[in-house]
Amino acid sequence: MAVWLVRRLAASIAIVFAVITLTFFIVHLARGSPCGPSQEQPFPPEVCDTLIKQFGLDQPLSVQYVRYLGQLARGNLGRSFALHRPVADALADALPHTFVLALAALVIDFSLGLALGIYQAVRERRFADIALGNIALFINSMPTFWLGLVLLLVFAQRLHWFPPGSPSNPVLCPRLDSAYCVLDFLWHLALPALTLGLVGAAATARYQRTAMLEVIRQDYVRTARAKGLGERRVLLVHALRNALLPFITLFGLTFPFLLTGAVLVESVFSWPGMGRLAVDAIGQRDYPVVTAAALVASAMVVLGNLLADVMYVGADPRIRVPGA
Amino acid sequence: MLSIRLPVRLSAGAALAGVLLFAGCARKGGCTGEHCGTLMIATAGEPDILLPPVSEASITRDVTEQLFLKLADLGMSGNTVGDEDFQPRLAERWEWDAPTTLVFHLDPRARWQDGRPVTAADVAFTYDAYTDATVASPFRPNLRQIAAVTTRDSLTVVFRFRQRYPEMFYDAVYQLRVLPSHLLRELPRDQWHSAAFGRAPVGDGPYRFVAWKAGESLELRADSTFFLGRPHIRRVIWRFTANPQASVRLLTAGDADAMEVLVTPDNVQLARADTLLTVYPYKGNVYGYLGFNLAAPGDSTKPHPLFGDRELRRALLMAVDRQGLLRNVWEDLAKVPPGPMSQLDWYWDPETRELPYDTAQAARRLARLGWTDSDGDGIRDRDGHPLAFRLLVPTSSGSRRQYARLLQEQYRTMGVDVQLDEVAYSLFIERAHTGLFDALLNGVSTDPTPASGIPQSWTRAGFGGSNYGRYENPGFERLVDHAIATANRAEAKRTWRAAIEVLNQDAPAVFLFAPRNFAAVDRRVTDVTIRPDSWLALLYTWRIPADRLTDRDRVEP
Repeated sequence: MAVWLVRRLAASIAIVFAVITLTFFIVHLARGSPCGPSQEQPFPPEVCDTLIKQFGLDQPLSVQYVRYLGQLARGNLGRSFALHRPVADALADALPHTFVLALAALVIDFSLGLALGIYQAVRERRFADIALGNIALFINSMPTFWLGLVLLLVFAQRLHWFPPGSPSNPVLCPRLDSAYCVLDFLWHLALPALTLGLVGAAATARYQRTAMLEVIRQDYVRTARAKGLGERRVLLVHALRNALLPFITLFGLTFPFLLTGAVLVESVFSWPGMGRLAVDAIGQRDYPVVTAAALVASAMVVLGNLLADVMYVGADPRIRVPGA
Repeated sequence: MLSIRLPVRLSAGAALAGVLLFAGCARKGGCTGEHCGTLMIATAGEPDILLPPVSEASITRDVTEQLFLKLADLGMSGNTVGDEDFQPRLAERWEWDAPTTLVFHLDPRARWQDGRPVTAADVAFTYDAYTDATVASPFRPNLRQIAAVTTRDSLTVVFRFRQRYPEMFYDAVYQLRVLPSHLLRELPRDQWHSAAFGRAPVGDGPYRFVAWKAGESLELRADSTFFLGRPHIRRVIWRFTANPQASVRLLTAGDADAMEVLVTPDNVQLARADTLLTVYPYKGNVYGYLGFNLAAPGDSTKPHPLFGDRELRRALLMAVDRQGLLRNVWEDLAKVPPGPMSQLDWYWDPETRELPYDTAQAARRLARLGWTDSDGDGIRDRDGHPLAFRLLVPTSSGSRRQYARLLQEQYRTMGVDVQLDEVAYSLFIERAHTGLFDALLNGVSTDPTPASGIPQSWTRAGFGGSNYGRYENPGFERLVDHAIATANRAEAKRTWRAAIEVLNQDAPAVFLFAPRNFAAVDRRVTDVTIRPDSWLALLYTWRIPADRLTDRDRVEP
């Protein structure tokens, strides 16, 4: 197991390295200047020349790449051209917001998806199953940014049940230092998390319904019923446990999806996370931030998959690790 | 049969609402009287760095305006000639020792927010930083006529100019925001673009910095000891959004109190219909134009195969219904400018002669130049070459994208094929700078004076800079130099008009729009005065009367 884990870790690091390298060259080769595009007026040429030198962008690309790797090896992600601050600081501000959003969406996705999937399975081919299946398909077909805009329009602008964006009220809750402010934060989180979580829940419900249907037709479920166990116990204890295995794979796939989906949701809800940071950085040709965002995103994807593999090995005794 | 309950219960929602309500009540109370009030400003984007020499973004200027004082500031007249219309700020008075020597006397009451006095050495240090090539300040070119800034004593500072000209005073004060030398002297100049000071500045203005939550908000608090008078509004908070529409949503939901520019006619209507908001129109500092590249793309030594021809440019200008385009995109929120100028520009003269909109004459001129539809495909051609060009448009501007489509259609009816190159703003700027375009749709923010913007955008001085189309005409440049050197404002206006008329006859561009800005501010805010060149310049005079305070105003930080 340990050897397998080390091998998987080494492969993960190689993947992340490849992503960084590819991103570094793609963003540097993309046309456009990092000098002053965030300003209303472009900087005068002599100012740009000085800045280009200070950024080190007058050096050959290979030299810049080697220098960047050296920096990275020392744990330095560089300085943002557009934000005028260390990239690590910008990431440290943005990452928690994205993680909280993704985590909240994950909870909505899995809890709602799981419940709906089981509910549909036990009412197979009845009205509730068909209706929920169609609703799930409808929601799953929606682009997240569109769903977000609809939720904003209805629940924030028309009904005023939720705030129209951003993570907190800066007057009443500049810090999370009271129960009120925690609730205020959850209130602000509700719409973006629902937007991201609902689309995922629709897909999860379909997966879970199929998995559950496969399991409840198995002999051991029939045996459990024959032994006189109650239906609730048969489904929730005997069937659900085995029907949850595909969920682990889904977790590995879903977390990266949530991170990438957050890019659009963050823009709609003015949520100050990684997605908004990366989108702004791409527009401003802020190379250090774009590369760092790719580094973090790829690391998350690789880690998510690694975690799913480890959980799979732990959860299913039939799976044997090669070399173990 | 298994029954599964919904995971979210309505009762839980009600409980949450109850707790919020209760906790909200617990936060009430606090400040009362004339110096309370919290103003929340919704804005798309956020400042890059709160260090004035390093950034010229307007949102950054809005914040630093409250933190760092100038020696004197522009008055409401917007007059940049002479010094009569300037208001004392850090300098309590000034005099001219000689035609090119300007002496400022600092107000002895001025203090940095860490308690140290503001001195003449701070002013000299500031000038040195702004003009240091290593700092790479975008304002450095504006200060090139100042030869030196020296101190006479701790409260007297002397500016020496290279020559005498009408806007010497403006150049000395408008861009320079005085900085605390005791906090910045040790900072290496090549590190100013990432200085930690820029994220937690110490200033000398009416407000002091409190907090900046990246991507979320920035808070300033009134300095109750401010030497020019305590500001009425106690807290100012900027809320950052991803785009202008998100800002409008905050505003109309009551989660923000003010917004600088409502941008679209729909938003203006929405704000006007909102009983809690007042809409304040003011002159905009932007103009937009369709610019022709007079040089061959990628080779500025050769003329452009189409737009090197002055007569063709004139015909293409006459084919554009600028009023019609304006109504389509801006409704009544903008005007067609009579040249390269925004509504803010004092030399705007509606009598300025321009080429008329006349499609019949435009068609005759094109035919006379040999551009006819010889093969009946709807596109004019000459010597086997179609009359076609590509139009560069930034995707970041909704209005310019609209204009591009409408222009494409208008030109199509004239037998001119226009293909659109819609690109990201950074690529737009790069292609504009390198001349890799046929024509572009550009927007320009103007200074209160034409003396810097016009030469940069429309004379040889702007080659390699903002004169993307490489327009030049010695006659126009002589008139511009003369206008800049003219001290009498009426005469200067006449000279500017003559210059613009020369430019209009050459048709290097089709000047399309100059919008009026509309700010929205919550009705409980009174004494709102907006200076068009900087909408928050007079924020320290805005008030929220005691009888209009809301819970948000009273809450203690």
